[in-house]
Amino acid sequence: MNEDTRDKVGRSFSEVLEKLAFMFAEPAEADELPAAEGKLVLVAMGFSGHWRGRLELAVPEEMSAELAANVLGLDAGDEAALERSADALKELLNVACGSILTTLAGDQPVFDLSVPKVAALPPEAWAAMRDDPETLRFVLEDRPALLRLHVQEGPA
Amino acid sequence: MAYNVLVVDDSATVRAVIRKTLSLAGVEVGEFHQAANGQEGLEALKGRWIDLVFADINMPVMTGIEMVERMAADGMLKSVPVIIVSTEGSATRIEQLKAKGVSAYIRKPFTPELLRSVVDEVMAGKGA
Repeated sequence: MNEDTRDKVGRSFSEVLEKLAFMFAEPAEADELPAAEGKLVLVAMGFSGHWRGRLELAVPEEMSAELAANVLGLDAGDEAALERSADALKELLNVACGSILTTLAGDQPVFDLSVPKVAALPPEAWAAMRDDPETLRFVLEDRPALLRLHVQEGPA
Repeated sequence: MAYNVLVVDDSATVRAVIRKTLSLAGVEVGEFHQAANGQEGLEALKGRWIDLVFADINMPVMTGIEMVERMAADGMLKSVPVIIVSTEGSATRIEQLKAKGVSAYIRKPFTPELLRSVVDEVMAGKGA
């Protein structure tokens, strides 16, 4: 991914986060990221059509509850926010994926998006993703977040 | 005038967000019904008076597109307006949806003002 594409992907993700959850993501280098504490989760989804690929987002699990609370307009500790934390994370990735693909490919190509899936992410897998040159790194409300886009060029 | 609304989306969060945004937008809602996929949406439409449907595209079991196609083939349901609320930004896809009978398309994320504007436009077209 060249710098221009990385910049577009990063800005698109930040804009979606801001509009959807009133949260702000600052781009960061690997050595500037806060420590990843507690359980870590990976949410991932695929896309096909004009291009085929996959978008992944890794965050500390506690961030997903805060995300859900912001999206739903609830307090961070609200039980409804906790119950919907994984669902909110999937929705964030879903909206970000649509936005990033339109930003990169324009509004004419058609993409089919898969349903996002959430899984626990072991610390070693977090470290590998953090250090992958293709990964975009963010500081999100004082916590680390990793975003990675794989694109296979050409029609699927 | 209060509208009976059905929201069809596999995300409970999105269903809650649409309900909250309708309230913030000042759209009066009478009955609020929800379904997690197109099949459940069709079942929710049976035997109920629904003024307006909000539906996602990508859902398990039955997509929003298939639900719209089945509604268009049903004499009782084909006049119920459907607003697609989705992440997809393809103009080509939006035109395809409108050709299938979708009344309007809202791309996520959206504001209460946009939602209100689209609802007013769609329901005015219905003669509401």
